[in-house]
Amino acid sequence: MSLINITLIVYVIASVAYIVREIWRSTATKWVSLGLFILAFCFNLAMVTKRSIEAGHPPFSNLYESLIFYACCTAFVYIIFEFVYNFKVVGALASVLSMLILLYATLQDDTIRPIMPALKSNWMLVHVVTYMLGYAAFGISFVTSIIFLVVKPFARKGKEDRGTEEGREILPRNFDKLSYKIVAFGFPFLTLGMITGAVWAKKAWGDYWSWDPKETWSLITWLAYLVYLHTPLVLPKMNINKSKAAVILAIWLLVSFGIVNFTFMGLNYLPSASDSEHIYGLQ
Amino acid sequence: MNILRNTFFRITQLNNIFHSYWFSVLLVLICTNLICCTIKRWRNTFLQTGFILTHLSIILILIGGVVKLQLGVKGSVNVYKGKSVDYFLTQELTRQGKIDYVKRDLPFTIALDDFILEKNEPKFQLVSYIKEKDRQKILEIKLSKKQRVASSDYKVTVTDYIPDAELRQEPVNASDKPDNPAIFVKTLGSEKVTAEGWLLANDRNYYDDKKQNLRIEYLWFPSQHELESAISSVETSSPKVSVFVLGQTKEYPLELNKIFKLEGTGYSVRFLQYVLNYGDRRPIEEQLPDNPAVQVELISPEGEETRWVFERFPDWDKMHPSKYKDVKLACSGITSSYMAKNTVRILQSEDGKQVLVFIKDRHIVETMPWELEKKYSIRDLDRQVMVSNYFPSFDFKKDVVKKSDKIGTPAIYVDIEGPSGKYTEWLLSGSQYATWYPDNNFALVYEPTGESIKHFISNLRIVDNGQTVAEKAIKVNDPLKYKGYAIYQSSYDPEAGNFSGLQIVKDPGIPIAYSGFGAICVGVVFIFYIKPFLRKKQKKEVEV
Repeated sequence: MSLINITLIVYVIASVAYIVREIWRSTATKWVSLGLFILAFCFNLAMVTKRSIEAGHPPFSNLYESLIFYACCTAFVYIIFEFVYNFKVVGALASVLSMLILLYATLQDDTIRPIMPALKSNWMLVHVVTYMLGYAAFGISFVTSIIFLVVKPFARKGKEDRGTEEGREILPRNFDKLSYKIVAFGFPFLTLGMITGAVWAKKAWGDYWSWDPKETWSLITWLAYLVYLHTPLVLPKMNINKSKAAVILAIWLLVSFGIVNFTFMGLNYLPSASDSEHIYGLQ
Repeated sequence: MNILRNTFFRITQLNNIFHSYWFSVLLVLICTNLICCTIKRWRNTFLQTGFILTHLSIILILIGGVVKLQLGVKGSVNVYKGKSVDYFLTQELTRQGKIDYVKRDLPFTIALDDFILEKNEPKFQLVSYIKEKDRQKILEIKLSKKQRVASSDYKVTVTDYIPDAELRQEPVNASDKPDNPAIFVKTLGSEKVTAEGWLLANDRNYYDDKKQNLRIEYLWFPSQHELESAISSVETSSPKVSVFVLGQTKEYPLELNKIFKLEGTGYSVRFLQYVLNYGDRRPIEEQLPDNPAVQVELISPEGEETRWVFERFPDWDKMHPSKYKDVKLACSGITSSYMAKNTVRILQSEDGKQVLVFIKDRHIVETMPWELEKKYSIRDLDRQVMVSNYFPSFDFKKDVVKKSDKIGTPAIYVDIEGPSGKYTEWLLSGSQYATWYPDNNFALVYEPTGESIKHFISNLRIVDNGQTVAEKAIKVNDPLKYKGYAIYQSSYDPEAGNFSGLQIVKDPGIPIAYSGFGAICVGVVFIFYIKPFLRKKQKKEVEV
């Protein structure tokens, strides 16, 4: 069996383990589910490493390579969050997310092709790694927003709001605050990715910003999350019901993650795609 | 309408949004907004560092952009190897919305001393194709590793590899049954072999010696009886024209200028002329049957139409548009009915009867039995004919041999397992054809992936006031900077690799924009990582 299939299966098993842990809470299930997730991440990391060795360049030169790296980053960021915050359920969907990304990768052309001259730069490494960590965080915030929106109608009112203090478990009905923290973790990476991209573009193509479709859409992504981060400052002044505001923000996160994916993969389908040097899989 | 559209785009600038005036106005507005926000929220505390940095940085970046647009230039120029330039071209939009090139002078000269185009080593890939799913998949080329072609029952194993191979075909006799009778014929002139080769009864059964006006034909008959009736006839086949109309095909003998009525239709056909080699200006007697064609006239109450019909291209008429689309024509038998001045016919039947017939000017001059390895003189010609071998079931044995150890035309030996069992074959990378598995549903192609460029490097020298002031080998990602100009490697001559495409950029806004970049990075890290940490620390201190 190929490595990619093993990784996919372990992600599925990890997901099931997280659901089991949700029903049967014990220290054992906690460590088993986390252990399985880490195992899946290790397999994914092995895939990325194997691919870079085989290809002889960092694994971001085409969509297939970027996707397996993206899946790996998503798993990595989730593991960090699991260690920092005390929450549950998210792991089940996070591993499904990584699995779906990998599954999408299997549909791509996985031929190793020589890397084009413009991509031979150390800036590329920084640019892609920071972007992928940012995207991964947004993927997790997408998952927490979904859980929040699903749980929200069933949450009992009047119960004490325990917030997101450390040590205590974060309940799904408070996932709006968790989402904000995750986005706040990812946003600096997105910014760094964009800036390093601009610096690299200047070195390779002579201009740090030329309004090519990928650049324009990455700016749109950045603005979408910037709006998300600013709204908590504005909403209190707008006389909107607090719980309604949380729902709006959660929906906004879902939309923003859609924009992320469009920037990442959907641009290939635009008619102007062939003019852009940024877009994967059009050699 | 067109003018209206042009005016619309000129006024709204919707075809060039990012350089339009209204977009610039939006950018100015956002700049003002940011300044107002920053002033309004100013608290003058250390925790606000990130807030101030990020908001100021965006203003800086926007100012940098304005400086770039106002004072910067961006253009390109192609330089030939060994030549130099002191100008470059910029693209500018005219009032009509068209792109115009404007020549701009450089305050120095750029000389291209050398241009190097480095290519990657050629790579080859093995592509599988499943016809019923119309799906292509690239397979790994790894020796003796069995691979299943995704979502199918086919398994492929590469069992051997030759870096530089050559295909050799050797004729063999597959069996004693006359499935594909063939003879090896030599013609000799003054004891020297002038020509030799295989004639296949069911395939190419003739050889033309154009200089001697001689044709050698090989005819095979299943029985002695049929052979004997063929000995005395000069014509072996007659040229025909087949007409396909109303779902039926009818054949007519190629008789010139006779009108044939097509029964059940309003059409008649007339054959105006025929040639042995279409496009040959010589009289038909001197032509060789390289591209036989017939000119046909279709007569209908609505008018006439003439068409050329080609024997070698039977689908020609079906694929080319014509006036009367419901009638399709084809012709046959012209090549085989062609008679050279001298014809030698080698006849053979399954029961072993072997007869040689000499024909001159359409008359049989001599008939005799023939045997293997015996020479027979052709009358009036300084030529002899000899049959030196006979294969009842002719076939080719393919053999792939190694030419060298360097990568040239690599070949792989593959095993294909599928519904019709195991099938092995050599695949040569240079082959134009796919290799099909016996069920005609699965095919493999071993092909080069196309050349790709590894690097392109320009050795540039900057000459200012007659003196060389800078030298650098530039490549993509590594420009040369001089006097505020940056010179980038951007393209190359795709045909001969003779010129290098350079991009020339001058952007005085860079320091401003880059300080904005730096500030925004520090700013976001401060807001999202340092500030929460400091807050927590403060909180703890308060609690203590």
